[in-house]
Amino acid sequence: MNYAEWPLSAPVNITWEITHQCNLNCIHCLSSSSTESPGELNLDECLSIVDQLAALKIFEINFGGGEPLLKSYFIPLLRYIHERGIVTCISTNGTMLTDEAIACFADNPLVNVQVSLDGATPDVNDRIRGQGTFHRIIRGVERLAGKNIPLSINTVVTSLNFMQLSQLKELAGSYGASLRVSRFRPSGRGRESWEMLRLTSAQLQELSDWLGDDPSILTGDSFFSISGDGRRQLGLDMCGACKMTCCIDPCGFVYPCAFMQEKEFCGGNLRDTSFRSIWDESASFNYFRHLEPAACRNCPRFSKCRGGCPAVAYFVSKDLNSADPECLINWSRDVLPAPPVEGQK
Amino acid sequence: MACRLAENVQVRKESWGLLFYSQHRHKVCFVKSGDWLHPQYFDGTWTLEDIIADIASRTGTPAEIIERSIPKLTQRLTANRMIVNELC
Repeated sequence: MNYAEWPLSAPVNITWEITHQCNLNCIHCLSSSSTESPGELNLDECLSIVDQLAALKIFEINFGGGEPLLKSYFIPLLRYIHERGIVTCISTNGTMLTDEAIACFADNPLVNVQVSLDGATPDVNDRIRGQGTFHRIIRGVERLAGKNIPLSINTVVTSLNFMQLSQLKELAGSYGASLRVSRFRPSGRGRESWEMLRLTSAQLQELSDWLGDDPSILTGDSFFSISGDGRRQLGLDMCGACKMTCCIDPCGFVYPCAFMQEKEFCGGNLRDTSFRSIWDESASFNYFRHLEPAACRNCPRFSKCRGGCPAVAYFVSKDLNSADPECLINWSRDVLPAPPVEGQK
Repeated sequence: MACRLAENVQVRKESWGLLFYSQHRHKVCFVKSGDWLHPQYFDGTWTLEDIIADIASRTGTPAEIIERSIPKLTQRLTANRMIVNELC
Protein backbone atom coordinates (compact mmCIF):
# COMPACT_ATOMS: atom_id res chain seq x y z
CA MET A 1 0.00 0.00 0.00
CA ASN A 2 1.43 3.35 -1.00
CA TYR A 3 0.18 5.67 1.73
CA ALA A 4 0.45 8.71 -0.49
CA GLU A 5 -2.02 7.11 -2.86
CA TRP A 6 -4.32 5.63 -0.21
CA PRO A 7 -4.16 7.90 2.88
CA LEU A 8 -6.48 6.77 5.64
CA SER A 9 -8.63 9.23 7.54
CA ALA A 10 -8.05 7.10 10.64
CA PRO A 11 -6.31 3.85 11.54
CA VAL A 12 -7.91 0.53 10.66
CA ASN A 13 -7.12 -0.61 14.17
CA ILE A 14 -5.20 0.64 17.15
CA THR A 15 -3.25 -1.01 19.91
CA TRP A 16 -4.28 0.33 23.27
CA GLU A 17 -2.01 -0.51 26.18
CA ILE A 18 -4.47 0.09 28.95
CA THR A 19 -2.07 -0.31 31.87
CA HIS A 20 1.57 -1.00 32.66
CA GLN A 21 0.54 -3.15 35.59
CA CYS A 22 1.17 -6.85 35.19
CA ASN A 23 1.30 -9.77 37.55
CA LEU A 24 3.92 -11.49 35.42
CA ASN A 25 7.45 -10.40 34.51
CA CYS A 26 8.11 -11.89 31.08
CA ILE A 27 11.70 -11.46 29.95
CA HIS A 28 10.70 -10.19 26.49
CA CYS A 29 7.92 -7.77 27.47
CA LEU A 30 7.77 -5.03 24.87
CA SER A 31 6.50 -2.45 27.37
CA SER A 32 8.57 -3.51 30.40
CA SER A 33 5.34 -3.93 32.33
CA SER A 34 5.29 -4.42 36.09
CA THR A 35 3.53 -1.76 38.19
CA GLU A 36 0.87 0.75 37.19
CA SER A 37 2.42 3.95 35.88
CA PRO A 38 1.70 7.26 37.61
CA GLY A 39 -0.96 9.18 35.69
CA GLU A 40 -2.65 6.33 33.84
CA LEU A 41 -5.90 7.38 32.18
CA ASN A 42 -9.08 7.16 34.24
CA LEU A 43 -12.34 5.71 32.94
CA ASP A 44 -13.87 9.03 31.90
CA GLU A 45 -10.76 9.87 29.89
CA CYS A 46 -10.90 6.48 28.22
CA LEU A 47 -14.57 6.89 27.34
CA SER A 48 -13.83 10.24 25.75
CA ILE A 49 -11.11 8.62 23.66
CA VAL A 50 -13.50 5.88 22.61
CA ASP A 51 -15.99 8.53 21.47
CA GLN A 52 -13.29 10.04 19.27
CA LEU A 53 -12.33 6.66 17.82
CA ALA A 54 -15.95 5.79 17.14
CA ALA A 55 -16.48 9.11 15.34
CA LEU A 56 -13.50 8.29 13.14
CA LYS A 57 -14.96 4.83 12.46
CA ILE A 58 -11.96 2.88 13.65
CA PHE A 59 -12.78 -0.79 13.14
CA GLU A 60 -10.88 -2.52 15.91
CA ILE A 61 -9.10 -1.88 19.19
CA ASN A 62 -6.47 -4.38 20.29
CA PHE A 63 -6.00 -4.22 24.04
CA GLY A 64 -2.77 -5.12 25.72
CA GLY A 65 -0.60 -3.79 28.45
CA GLY A 66 0.55 -4.94 30.99
CA GLU A 67 -2.37 -7.19 31.75
CA PRO A 68 -5.64 -5.51 30.72
CA LEU A 69 -7.73 -7.48 33.19
CA LEU A 70 -5.88 -5.84 36.05
CA LYS A 71 -7.48 -2.50 35.13
CA SER A 72 -10.49 -2.16 37.42
CA TYR A 73 -12.65 -0.46 34.75
CA PHE A 74 -11.65 -2.69 31.85
CA ILE A 75 -14.94 -4.60 31.50
CA PRO A 76 -17.15 -1.47 31.69
CA LEU A 77 -14.83 0.13 29.12
CA LEU A 78 -15.23 -2.88 26.82
CA ARG A 79 -19.01 -2.72 27.10
CA TYR A 80 -18.93 0.98 26.17
CA ILE A 81 -16.79 0.20 23.13
CA HIS A 82 -19.08 -2.61 22.04
CA GLU A 83 -22.12 -0.32 22.23
CA ARG A 84 -20.39 1.67 19.50
CA GLY A 85 -19.88 -1.36 17.29
CA ILE A 86 -16.09 -1.42 17.55
CA VAL A 87 -14.43 -4.84 17.49
CA THR A 88 -12.06 -5.60 20.35
CA CYS A 89 -9.21 -8.03 20.66
CA ILE A 90 -8.04 -8.63 24.20
CA SER A 91 -4.49 -9.83 24.64
CA THR A 92 -4.25 -11.42 28.08
CA ASN A 93 -1.78 -13.57 29.96
CA GLY A 94 -4.70 -15.82 30.86
CA THR A 95 -4.01 -15.82 34.61
CA MET A 96 -6.40 -13.05 35.70
CA LEU A 97 -9.68 -14.15 34.12
CA THR A 98 -12.77 -13.50 36.21
CA ASP A 99 -16.29 -14.84 35.75
CA GLU A 100 -17.35 -11.31 34.80
CA ALA A 101 -14.70 -11.10 32.08
CA ILE A 102 -15.59 -14.49 30.63
CA ALA A 103 -19.28 -13.57 30.64
CA CYS A 104 -18.42 -10.37 28.74
CA PHE A 105 -16.39 -12.30 26.16
CA ALA A 106 -18.66 -15.29 25.63
CA ASP A 107 -21.01 -15.26 22.64
CA ASN A 108 -19.96 -11.69 21.89
CA PRO A 109 -19.44 -11.08 18.16
CA LEU A 110 -17.29 -8.05 18.90
CA VAL A 111 -14.70 -9.89 21.00
CA ASN A 112 -11.60 -11.84 20.10
CA VAL A 113 -9.32 -13.13 22.84
CA GLN A 114 -5.65 -13.84 22.50
CA VAL A 115 -3.84 -15.69 25.31
CA SER A 116 -0.08 -15.38 25.48
CA LEU A 117 1.85 -18.62 25.78
CA ASP A 118 5.51 -18.98 24.91
CA GLY A 119 6.07 -22.72 24.98
CA ALA A 120 4.21 -25.98 24.52
CA THR A 121 5.72 -27.34 27.72
CA PRO A 122 6.33 -25.78 31.15
CA ASP A 123 10.11 -25.94 30.90
CA VAL A 124 10.12 -23.77 27.78
CA ASN A 125 7.25 -21.40 28.56
CA ASP A 126 8.26 -20.76 32.15
CA ARG A 127 11.77 -19.69 31.19
CA ILE A 128 10.15 -16.74 29.44
CA ARG A 129 6.95 -16.06 31.37
CA GLY A 130 7.95 -17.19 34.85
CA GLN A 131 7.93 -20.25 37.06
CA GLY A 132 4.57 -21.99 37.23
CA THR A 133 2.92 -19.84 34.55
CA PHE A 134 2.39 -22.59 31.98
CA HIS A 135 -0.20 -24.39 34.08
CA ARG A 136 -1.88 -21.15 35.13
CA ILE A 137 -2.15 -20.04 31.50
CA ILE A 138 -3.56 -23.40 30.39
CA ARG A 139 -6.19 -23.17 33.14
CA GLY A 140 -7.15 -19.81 31.67
CA VAL A 141 -7.36 -21.25 28.16
CA GLU A 142 -9.54 -24.08 29.49
CA ARG A 143 -11.93 -21.54 31.01
CA LEU A 144 -12.22 -19.69 27.69
CA ALA A 145 -12.51 -22.74 25.46
CA GLY A 146 -15.95 -23.81 24.34
CA LYS A 147 -17.58 -20.47 25.16
CA ASN A 148 -18.02 -19.33 21.55
CA ILE A 149 -15.12 -16.89 21.85
CA PRO A 150 -12.77 -16.51 18.84
CA LEU A 151 -9.66 -17.62 20.66
CA SER A 152 -6.01 -17.65 19.69
CA ILE A 153 -2.87 -18.55 21.50
CA ASN A 154 -0.14 -16.01 20.82
CA THR A 155 3.50 -16.98 20.87
CA VAL A 156 6.41 -14.61 20.50
CA VAL A 157 8.83 -16.67 18.44
CA THR A 158 12.25 -16.89 20.08
CA SER A 159 15.22 -19.21 20.05
CA LEU A 160 13.82 -20.85 23.19
CA ASN A 161 10.46 -21.93 21.71
CA PHE A 162 11.29 -22.14 18.01
CA MET A 163 11.37 -25.95 18.02
CA GLN A 164 7.91 -26.13 19.61
CA LEU A 165 5.89 -24.16 17.07
CA SER A 166 4.19 -27.22 15.62
CA GLN A 167 3.41 -28.51 19.11
CA LEU A 168 2.00 -25.09 19.99
CA LYS A 169 -0.27 -25.26 16.97
CA GLU A 170 -1.51 -28.68 18.08
CA LEU A 171 -1.95 -27.45 21.63
CA ALA A 172 -3.97 -24.45 20.43
CA GLY A 173 -6.08 -26.68 18.22
CA SER A 174 -6.88 -29.01 21.12
CA TYR A 175 -8.73 -26.09 22.73
CA GLY A 176 -10.39 -24.94 19.53
CA ALA A 177 -7.96 -22.03 19.27
CA SER A 178 -5.80 -20.72 16.45
CA LEU A 179 -2.08 -20.22 16.81
CA ARG A 180 -0.84 -16.71 16.29
CA VAL A 181 2.89 -16.06 16.15
CA SER A 182 4.48 -12.70 16.83
CA ARG A 183 7.90 -11.44 16.01
CA PHE A 184 10.35 -10.91 18.84
CA ARG A 185 11.57 -7.33 18.79
CA PRO A 186 14.22 -5.62 20.94
CA SER A 187 11.69 -3.26 22.58
CA GLY A 188 11.15 -2.83 26.33
CA ARG A 189 12.66 -5.77 28.24
CA GLY A 190 13.22 -7.37 24.87
CA ARG A 191 16.26 -5.14 24.49
CA GLU A 192 17.97 -6.88 27.39
CA SER A 193 17.06 -10.35 26.10
CA TRP A 194 17.61 -9.67 22.37
CA GLU A 195 20.97 -11.44 22.13
CA MET A 196 19.68 -14.51 23.91
CA LEU A 197 16.29 -14.83 22.23
CA ARG A 198 16.63 -13.67 18.63
CA LEU A 199 16.41 -16.26 15.86
CA THR A 200 19.37 -17.26 13.76
CA SER A 201 19.37 -16.82 10.00
CA ALA A 202 18.68 -20.52 9.52
CA GLN A 203 15.76 -20.38 11.93
CA LEU A 204 14.32 -17.35 10.14
CA GLN A 205 14.50 -19.23 6.85
CA GLU A 206 12.82 -22.25 8.40
CA LEU A 207 10.14 -20.03 9.95
CA SER A 208 9.47 -18.36 6.63
CA ASP A 209 9.08 -21.76 4.95
CA TRP A 210 6.80 -23.03 7.73
CA LEU A 211 4.57 -19.97 7.54
CA GLY A 212 4.46 -20.32 3.77
CA ASP A 213 3.29 -23.93 4.08
CA ASP A 214 0.52 -23.20 6.59
CA PRO A 215 -1.74 -20.24 5.92
CA SER A 216 -3.81 -21.06 9.02
CA ILE A 217 -1.08 -19.70 11.27
CA LEU A 218 -1.99 -16.12 12.15
CA THR A 219 0.72 -13.50 12.11
CA GLY A 220 -0.98 -10.12 11.88
CA ASP A 221 1.70 -7.97 10.36
CA SER A 222 4.51 -9.48 12.37
CA PHE A 223 6.41 -11.33 9.70
CA PHE A 224 5.76 -9.37 6.56
CA SER A 225 9.47 -8.84 6.02
CA ILE A 226 10.13 -12.56 5.68
CA SER A 227 6.85 -13.65 4.12
CA GLY A 228 7.02 -15.42 0.82
CA ASP A 229 4.79 -14.16 -1.94
CA GLY A 230 2.18 -16.83 -1.38
CA ARG A 231 1.48 -15.66 2.15
CA ARG A 232 1.57 -11.93 1.54
CA GLN A 233 -2.04 -11.70 0.50
CA LEU A 234 -3.14 -13.02 3.89
CA GLY A 235 -2.29 -9.86 5.72
CA LEU A 236 -0.33 -6.66 5.82
CA ASP A 237 2.71 -6.74 3.65
CA MET A 238 4.47 -3.69 5.01
CA CYS A 239 4.87 -1.75 8.21
CA GLY A 240 1.49 -0.41 9.23
CA ALA A 241 2.76 2.15 11.75
CA CYS A 242 0.94 5.45 11.23
CA LYS A 243 -0.63 4.10 8.04
CA MET A 244 -3.01 1.40 9.27
CA THR A 245 -2.42 1.49 13.01
CA CYS A 246 -0.89 3.28 15.97
CA CYS A 247 -0.61 2.76 19.72
CA ILE A 248 -2.12 4.52 22.74
CA ASP A 249 -0.16 4.04 25.95
CA PRO A 250 -1.65 3.90 29.48
CA CYS A 251 -1.10 7.63 30.04
CA GLY A 252 -2.64 8.77 26.74
CA PHE A 253 0.52 9.19 24.68
CA VAL A 254 0.14 8.09 21.05
CA TYR A 255 2.96 6.33 19.23
CA PRO A 256 3.43 4.94 15.72
CA CYS A 257 3.10 1.39 17.05
CA ALA A 258 3.44 -0.63 20.23
CA PHE A 259 7.10 -1.32 19.48
CA MET A 260 8.03 2.34 18.95
CA GLN A 261 7.10 3.79 22.35
CA GLU A 262 10.02 6.15 22.60
CA LYS A 263 9.65 9.84 23.46
CA GLU A 264 11.18 10.95 20.17
CA PHE A 265 8.48 9.12 18.19
CA CYS A 266 5.50 10.32 20.23
CA GLY A 267 2.77 11.99 18.19
CA GLY A 268 1.09 13.72 21.14
CA ASN A 269 -1.02 13.13 24.24
CA LEU A 270 -4.77 12.62 24.15
CA ARG A 271 -5.22 14.59 27.36
CA ASP A 272 -4.49 17.79 25.46
CA THR A 273 -4.72 16.93 21.75
CA SER A 274 -7.46 15.22 19.81
CA PHE A 275 -6.78 11.85 18.23
CA ARG A 276 -7.62 13.30 14.82
CA SER A 277 -5.05 16.07 15.21
CA ILE A 278 -2.35 13.62 16.22
CA TRP A 279 -3.20 11.27 13.33
CA ASP A 280 -3.42 14.03 10.72
CA GLU A 281 -0.84 16.54 11.84
CA SER A 282 1.89 15.15 14.05
CA ALA A 283 5.34 15.46 12.55
CA SER A 284 6.34 12.05 13.86
CA PHE A 285 3.42 10.32 12.17
CA ASN A 286 3.98 12.07 8.88
CA TYR A 287 7.64 11.08 9.04
CA PHE A 288 6.80 7.42 9.52
CA ARG A 289 4.28 7.42 6.71
CA HIS A 290 6.94 8.33 4.23
CA LEU A 291 9.86 6.46 5.78
CA GLU A 292 11.82 4.54 3.16
CA PRO A 293 15.08 3.42 4.77
CA ALA A 294 17.99 4.63 2.69
CA ALA A 295 19.73 1.27 3.11
CA CYS A 296 16.83 -0.52 1.43
CA ARG A 297 15.82 1.67 -1.50
CA ASN A 298 17.92 -0.15 -4.08
CA CYS A 299 16.95 -3.61 -2.87
CA PRO A 300 15.09 -5.73 -5.45
CA ARG A 301 12.55 -6.58 -2.78
CA PHE A 302 11.90 -3.03 -1.64
CA SER A 303 8.48 -2.73 -3.22
CA LYS A 304 7.38 -5.79 -1.25
CA CYS A 305 8.43 -4.83 2.26
CA ARG A 306 9.41 -1.14 2.13
CA GLY A 307 12.34 -1.68 4.45
CA GLY A 308 10.84 -4.12 6.95
CA CYS A 309 10.25 -3.27 10.59
CA PRO A 310 11.69 0.10 11.60
CA ALA A 311 11.43 -0.83 15.29
CA VAL A 312 13.88 -3.68 14.93
CA ALA A 313 16.16 -1.64 12.68
CA TYR A 314 16.11 1.29 15.09
CA PHE A 315 16.68 -0.59 18.35
CA VAL A 316 19.50 -2.65 16.86
CA SER A 317 21.33 0.11 15.04
CA LYS A 318 19.79 3.35 16.43
CA ASP A 319 19.21 4.43 12.84
CA LEU A 320 15.78 4.46 11.15
CA ASN A 321 17.50 4.51 7.78
CA SER A 322 19.20 1.18 8.33
CA ALA A 323 17.79 -2.08 7.06
CA ASP A 324 15.69 -4.46 9.11
CA PRO A 325 18.42 -6.92 10.17
CA GLU A 326 16.06 -9.88 9.79
CA CYS A 327 14.86 -9.30 6.26
CA LEU A 328 15.08 -12.03 3.61
CA ILE A 329 17.90 -10.30 1.79
CA ASN A 330 19.90 -9.45 4.91
CA TRP A 331 19.98 -12.84 6.55
CA SER A 332 23.58 -13.27 5.59
CA ARG A 333 24.56 -10.06 7.33
CA ASP A 334 25.70 -10.04 10.90
CA VAL A 335 23.02 -8.82 13.27
CA LEU A 336 24.32 -6.00 15.40
CA PRO A 337 24.14 -6.45 19.19
CA ALA A 338 21.50 -4.41 20.99
CA PRO A 339 22.78 -1.13 22.42
CA PRO A 340 23.50 -1.26 26.14
CA VAL A 341 20.50 -0.68 28.36
CA GLU A 342 20.76 2.64 30.20
CA GLY A 343 22.42 2.21 33.58
CA GLN A 344 24.12 -1.03 32.63
CA LYS A 345 27.63 -1.50 31.30
CA MET B 1 -30.66 -8.69 -6.11
CA ALA B 2 -29.43 -6.36 -3.40
CA CYS B 3 -25.91 -5.93 -2.10
CA ARG B 4 -25.21 -6.42 1.56
CA LEU B 5 -22.09 -6.44 3.67
CA ALA B 6 -20.96 -9.97 4.42
CA GLU B 7 -21.16 -11.13 8.01
CA ASN B 8 -18.70 -9.37 10.33
CA VAL B 9 -17.59 -6.92 7.64
CA GLN B 10 -17.57 -3.16 8.16
CA VAL B 11 -17.07 -0.36 5.67
CA ARG B 12 -16.20 3.32 5.84
CA LYS B 13 -15.78 6.14 3.36
CA GLU B 14 -12.33 7.49 2.55
CA SER B 15 -11.28 10.32 0.26
CA TRP B 16 -10.37 7.86 -2.51
CA GLY B 17 -13.31 5.44 -2.10
CA LEU B 18 -14.33 2.74 0.36
CA LEU B 19 -12.37 0.78 2.93
CA PHE B 20 -13.81 -2.62 3.85
CA TYR B 21 -12.70 -4.57 6.92
CA SER B 22 -13.35 -8.23 7.64
CA GLN B 23 -13.25 -8.79 11.37
CA HIS B 24 -12.72 -12.54 11.37
CA ARG B 25 -10.14 -12.61 8.62
CA HIS B 26 -8.45 -9.36 9.75
CA LYS B 27 -8.41 -8.37 6.12
CA VAL B 28 -8.90 -4.99 4.51
CA CYS B 29 -10.03 -4.26 0.99
CA PHE B 30 -9.42 -0.91 -0.68
CA VAL B 31 -11.89 0.12 -3.37
CA LYS B 32 -10.80 3.16 -5.33
CA SER B 33 -14.28 4.32 -6.22
CA GLY B 34 -13.80 8.02 -5.54
CA ASP B 35 -17.17 9.51 -4.71
CA TRP B 36 -19.18 6.90 -6.59
CA LEU B 37 -19.76 4.29 -3.90
CA HIS B 38 -21.12 5.02 -0.43
CA PRO B 39 -21.36 2.71 2.58
CA GLN B 40 -25.15 2.78 2.64
CA TYR B 41 -25.25 1.02 -0.73
CA PHE B 42 -24.38 -2.16 1.14
CA ASP B 43 -27.13 -2.10 3.74
CA GLY B 44 -29.14 -4.70 1.86
CA THR B 45 -31.74 -2.33 0.43
CA TRP B 46 -30.00 -1.17 -2.75
CA THR B 47 -30.03 -3.16 -5.99
CA LEU B 48 -27.28 -2.70 -8.56
CA GLU B 49 -29.70 -0.72 -10.68
CA ASP B 50 -30.53 1.57 -7.73
CA ILE B 51 -26.82 2.18 -7.13
CA ILE B 52 -26.13 3.01 -10.76
CA ALA B 53 -29.10 5.36 -10.92
CA ASP B 54 -28.07 7.13 -7.71
CA ILE B 55 -24.47 7.61 -8.87
CA ALA B 56 -25.68 8.95 -12.21
CA SER B 57 -27.98 11.37 -10.44
CA ARG B 58 -25.33 12.62 -8.00
CA THR B 59 -22.40 12.87 -10.33
CA GLY B 60 -23.98 13.55 -13.71
CA THR B 61 -22.04 10.63 -15.19
CA PRO B 62 -23.97 8.78 -17.90
CA ALA B 63 -25.41 5.53 -16.62
CA GLU B 64 -23.76 3.55 -19.44
CA ILE B 65 -20.33 4.53 -18.17
CA ILE B 66 -21.23 3.59 -14.61
CA GLU B 67 -22.70 0.29 -15.76
CA ARG B 68 -19.32 -0.69 -17.22
CA SER B 69 -17.46 -0.12 -13.94
CA ILE B 70 -19.70 -0.86 -10.98
CA PRO B 71 -20.34 -4.57 -11.65
CA LYS B 72 -16.57 -5.15 -11.77
CA LEU B 73 -16.20 -3.46 -8.38
CA THR B 74 -19.02 -5.43 -6.80
CA GLN B 75 -17.71 -8.68 -8.29
CA ARG B 76 -14.33 -7.99 -6.74
CA LEU B 77 -15.93 -7.30 -3.37
CA THR B 78 -17.95 -10.50 -3.65
CA ALA B 79 -14.82 -12.47 -4.59
CA ASN B 80 -13.09 -11.00 -1.52
CA ARG B 81 -16.11 -12.00 0.58
CA MET B 82 -16.71 -8.43 1.66
CA ILE B 83 -20.25 -8.31 0.27
CA VAL B 84 -22.95 -10.79 -0.61
CA ASN B 85 -25.74 -10.52 -3.11
CA GLU B 86 -29.15 -11.56 -1.97
CA LEU B 87 -32.60 -11.67 -3.45
CA CYS B 88 -34.74 -8.68 -2.53
